[in-house]
Amino acid sequence: MRSEHGSPGPVRRIATAFVWCVVAADLLLILWIALTSIRGSTDILHEAFGLPLPPHFGNYAKAFDEGGFGPAALNSVVVSTASSLVAVALAAPCAYALARRRTRTSSALTMTFAMGLGVPGQVLVVPLFVGMAQVDLTDSQFGLTLVYVGLAMPFTVFMLTGFFSGIPAVLEEAAALDGAGPLRSFVQVVLPVARGGLITAFLLQFISAWNETLFALVLTHSQEQITLPVALASFVASAQLNGLDYGTMFAGVCVILAPMIALFSWMGTRIIQGMTVGIGK
Amino acid sequence: MTTTLHDRPRTDTVRGAGRASRRHGTGPQARQQRRMFLPFTAPAILAYAVLFLAPVGYAIWTSLYKWDGMGAMEWRGLKNYQLLFEDPFFRTSLVNTFKLMVIGGTLTFAISFLLTLVLREMKARLFARSVLFFPCLVNGMVFGIAAGFLFSPDGPVNQALHFLGVTTPPKWLSTDNLLPMILGTLVWTATGYYTAIIMAAVDQIPPHLYEAAELDGANAFQRFRHVTLPCAWDVISVCAVLWTVSSVKIFELILLFGGTSSSYPPAESWNTALYVYTQAFPQATVPRLGMATAAALVSLVMVTVVTVVMRRLMRREPLEY
Repeated sequence: MRSEHGSPGPVRRIATAFVWCVVAADLLLILWIALTSIRGSTDILHEAFGLPLPPHFGNYAKAFDEGGFGPAALNSVVVSTASSLVAVALAAPCAYALARRRTRTSSALTMTFAMGLGVPGQVLVVPLFVGMAQVDLTDSQFGLTLVYVGLAMPFTVFMLTGFFSGIPAVLEEAAALDGAGPLRSFVQVVLPVARGGLITAFLLQFISAWNETLFALVLTHSQEQITLPVALASFVASAQLNGLDYGTMFAGVCVILAPMIALFSWMGTRIIQGMTVGIGK
Repeated sequence: MTTTLHDRPRTDTVRGAGRASRRHGTGPQARQQRRMFLPFTAPAILAYAVLFLAPVGYAIWTSLYKWDGMGAMEWRGLKNYQLLFEDPFFRTSLVNTFKLMVIGGTLTFAISFLLTLVLREMKARLFARSVLFFPCLVNGMVFGIAAGFLFSPDGPVNQALHFLGVTTPPKWLSTDNLLPMILGTLVWTATGYYTAIIMAAVDQIPPHLYEAAELDGANAFQRFRHVTLPCAWDVISVCAVLWTVSSVKIFELILLFGGTSSSYPPAESWNTALYVYTQAFPQATVPRLGMATAAALVSLVMVTVVTVVMRRLMRREPLEY
């Protein structure tokens, strides 16, 4: 497909070397964070780069017990999974209807959802905080989940609308001829075909909920309700009073980082495609 | 079902009248679609309206009042906005937001183009692309914390510089240097993402265009200028909008940059997101919710204006290839 040129010029060679340097720096940073998370704090201060000899797995125990990363990790899993599931479940039928029915109402609705993409989170943070307080849903995982579902709506609907318009309508026409109603043909015919797009939408939402910090900071505060970013922020804050415990801090960083690495090594192409194709269209 | 099918004779479809009847909503498919429309869209619209649109409206409402969140709301009208622009902290954060948007955007896109240029013809480009992409999946705080350690006065960067003979290294994390450091981190983490989007578009460009350009003796830069750029222009303009929106949202990277979170980071490094946060949830003083929402709305207006202007400027005839 690509024609090979003779010998690459010096500029190209330097540029390629530069790209590999950045790639190496990215990988080394992750490796360094992982290694630092199992080193003793005094070792780290003494020598920034070094092998964990002997490995201090106690950092993780400390992070989970004292740092509150244990319950926070569980909360992060619950809130991210629940909010992404609900978001996709609400957005999928809506996106499907918007993709199939081309009327003035539906294109106006599609526009309204797309406009939400341009609203920065700081616009919503005060109203949602006040509103959640009024219905007594602050400092609750349920409240945070609801907020994440709302935040997810513009992107998920927008992305899935693009995805559903790519599925040929012949499928449902055939199902209709066989006597299936719209609901039945959606559930039994369209959804199975759309599985890939739904999984991508779920993954992208999961990732953004996992990393979400502003709303989590504002809406949760008690140890039982906070998510990982809040736990990490408060650990860093307390570390400045109690002296820096870099080992434990980096153990906390790893707890946030590890699922993203795992997801990315498992479903990397799908994630990249979802984040690029959904936008490129 | 069968009766409705009889409503539409077969010949209609052939003549294209089926399509017309669908537009007028008389075909069975159209009738079905109309019946399903409301139940299918209502839940998402409800969630969006209650949890997203209503809060935006409430923000506009709140921005016209003086309010501490507890007591009565005191009408202030547009005075909040006037006070906002008189507040030096807000002006700094607005300027910083602009700097992140413009300088960060220029650097990010320049580097992304360079990377695309190189990656397109590189071995193991998929691997390199994936690694470069990864940082955008990482919480910004992680980079803030890592930078706080790496660039601390006795940290590894200064140790390395000392080894190289630099005895007075820059004070990396001093207040003056925070914003450039944040900018650098931001550009580094964002380039991979935009490179991936631009490359996805570049992959769609048929190779014969490059071959033709090469036969005409175009060098790498000329191929980029005359083939890649025009063919990928649509995607690039979407990326520019995307950058504008996301650069205004940056929050956790600044909040924890250099590990400063026992108190808020110095105001010199705030952007409007930080300003909103510090006004609405202050550590020692009374919350100023009216000012906070007014500041948030200023950043919304900023995003909107920049986006509209940019779309105007970047509009080109769509290219068929």
